[in-house]
Amino acid sequence: MATSGGELGGVFDHHVQKAVCDSRAKYREGRRPRAVKVYTVNLESRYLLIQGVPAVGAMKELVERFALYGAIEQYNALDEYPAEDFTEVYLIKFLNLQSARIAKRKMDEQSFFGGLLHVCYAPEFETVEETRKKLQERNAYVARTTKNKDTKDFRQDFYSKTSGFPAASLNTSTGNSDLCLPYSCELPLCCFSPKCTCSSGEHVDRASNSSQDGRNHDETLEHCNHYDSLQKMQMKTLKKFIGLSLAQQKAITPSEAVDRFMPRTTQLQERKRRREDDCKHGTLLEASTSSNEVMIGPQLPDIPKVDMHDDSLNTTANLIRSKLKEVISSVPKSPEDKLEGVCGSHPLKQRRRI
Amino acid sequence: MAQKPKVDPHVGRLGYLQALVTEFQATESQDAKEQVLANLANFAYDPSNYQYLRQLQVLDLFLDSLSEENETLVEFAIGGLCNLCSDRANKEHILQTGGVPLIIDCLSSPNEETVLSAVTTIMYLSSPGSSSHPELTAMPVVQCMVRFSLSANARLRNLAQIFLEDFCSPSQVAEARSWRAHSALGIPLPRTEAPQQP
Repeated sequence: MATSGGELGGVFDHHVQKAVCDSRAKYREGRRPRAVKVYTVNLESRYLLIQGVPAVGAMKELVERFALYGAIEQYNALDEYPAEDFTEVYLIKFLNLQSARIAKRKMDEQSFFGGLLHVCYAPEFETVEETRKKLQERNAYVARTTKNKDTKDFRQDFYSKTSGFPAASLNTSTGNSDLCLPYSCELPLCCFSPKCTCSSGEHVDRASNSSQDGRNHDETLEHCNHYDSLQKMQMKTLKKFIGLSLAQQKAITPSEAVDRFMPRTTQLQERKRRREDDCKHGTLLEASTSSNEVMIGPQLPDIPKVDMHDDSLNTTANLIRSKLKEVISSVPKSPEDKLEGVCGSHPLKQRRRI
Repeated sequence: MAQKPKVDPHVGRLGYLQALVTEFQATESQDAKEQVLANLANFAYDPSNYQYLRQLQVLDLFLDSLSEENETLVEFAIGGLCNLCSDRANKEHILQTGGVPLIIDCLSSPNEETVLSAVTTIMYLSSPGSSSHPELTAMPVVQCMVRFSLSANARLRNLAQIFLEDFCSPSQVAEARSWRAHSALGIPLPRTEAPQQP
């Protein structure tokens, strides 16, 4: 096999756990201490090698722990692999690469039955066909992601154009459900939640339904319940006419995008847009119903009631609104500017910072 | 590995990458160079960074680093190129700036990861859709791959086999195999390989 056979922890160089780098400049220190290493498509693999497993007959528990990150195709102990006394080495093969990546990131250096696990990729166990498929998937993923990025810019332009568009008058555009399909159909390189590591057959079934299901599928992919309820309400109307771009946005689940806050930014933008809409509508309404009073100068707009689609945020918003009403009523001549400013940006606490 | 963005993914990303490039060019410390290059190479895995990397000419930085004495720098640089070369725009840039000979030279590195990354890079550069570069499937390269395909190293063997099956014509492979016995092969095998049968 390799030249360093028989040495503990490293039949291959890429199995050896490198020392953590401690000489990094402050500005580029990460959250976790890491070794200096480059990960390429060659090194990453569906096969994970787990060293340092205490020999206490805990194979079942080990596999169960790893199965949290995705479906496991096969697993076995590697009895011939050099290991420290009283530890075992296991090989786990995941159904897809993204599960393996996440499992490695999460489980490396974790304690397990009193020992520290060392998890690394084991691409040497791949067959030719598996390697080929891995390279092709990577190629396809890059092509898909760079294509999505072009339409992402389109979406941002669209937002600035559509402020004030009344949501009520949106109609389902049947063309969009077809547009959503190509991105729901493709088996994404990454499936984050274990419940989502379904076979490609299931993906196709989901995609064959309406865009509603396609959207749900994307949301499941995001694996964030917090986003589900908010986005279903907010995005339902928007998606009907933005359709493709948003679906693409959701479908951008590259391996790194699990950390991208794209949906969150979308929410904030969406809320801001709605505030601006309501503010505008509030102004219009006030102007039309004030025929009875004698008006001198421009009418002060009422503070718009914005539904934040969230109980805690709504409570906060209501509290602030009532406080503002108090202040306004006690001070007869409040400057219009202040209220306009409030209309545009409520000083609301954002609760869900991650 | 995936880089975790702190709050907003792209605010400050360009600035950070710029700081990395500046440090790489300014520093004397080999350790710092290695760390920075590894950082950049890992960023090159994420397609969302490609426009920044092109803007900061990181592709040229990788290509230049292939000629470094330090083997680790070469390994990281070719790893970075391997990560980003499947993107069409990056591919074009590498082909047009004469990066192919530098990458082919990496096939002769004693470092296993360098060779593997070089083979994969050559495969991605040869992918259909881009202008096919004849150097990528020239006889020395194909001969090299034939030798790799007989290697005891499973990863190298797999990659070489895929190259020969998917990126070379059968006649090229046959020719390379028949040449093997007589021509002076200029590309040595990586260090980790077991001695071959004559």
